[in-house]
Amino acid sequence: MPIVVRIDVELAKRKMSVGEFAERVGLTPANVAVLKNGRAKAVRFSTLEAMCRVLECQPGDLLEWVDE
Amino acid sequence: MLKTAWAVALLRVVLVMAFLLLLVMQVMSVPGGLAYEVEQSPEMAYLRWPLLVVLEIQLLCGQVVIVCTWKLLTMVKDDRIFSERAFAWVDAILWAIAVAWVLLLAVFLYVGFNADDPGAPLLLMLPLTGGAVLGLLMIVMRALLRQATELRSDMEQVI
Repeated sequence: MPIVVRIDVELAKRKMSVGEFAERVGLTPANVAVLKNGRAKAVRFSTLEAMCRVLECQPGDLLEWVDE
Repeated sequence: MLKTAWAVALLRVVLVMAFLLLLVMQVMSVPGGLAYEVEQSPEMAYLRWPLLVVLEIQLLCGQVVIVCTWKLLTMVKDDRIFSERAFAWVDAILWAIAVAWVLLLAVFLYVGFNADDPGAPLLLMLPLTGGAVLGLLMIVMRALLRQATELRSDMEQVI
């Protein structure tokens, strides 16, 4: 998928663990892993909103388009 | 959802009754009735065994449909209906209806070409048309199940 989810970058900036992030957003660690390694097919706006809230960032900070 | 649960429970009761009814016809009514008919009109004796085989297979098809419907109802109850495994049971129902219908068509054609009056063929037209409607409706419902299953699997990938 040419859209990558840059969770790891934002997590590193805030020194937040994947486990804590998953719990605060309300995702399973398995789904966080799916987002991180680019296998996600679709993301709910409500999930995106929760991720932005937890990471205090904008959707644009999380989503990035890369040319394949 | 409560109404669906009631309908499913009621449907199961009716299915059990229908299955038992078919079983009684299979082991008693059909063989007995044919034997009686042959006694009454011995000139029709050559029809006894072919007709017995056809009727028994058709009753068996009815039982297959009932068992498959039962299995599908269980899948509905457990919320597993939108899965690939449901299609095996749906296909079995379709095949059973198809086999029973083709046999009925053969009987209809035989009766139609040998009938002196239009009474019997017209009477056979009723289940023939009904069976065609049922079978084609099943094909439509199978396509709907296919669509719903694909939507469900798409939705399950949404994070």
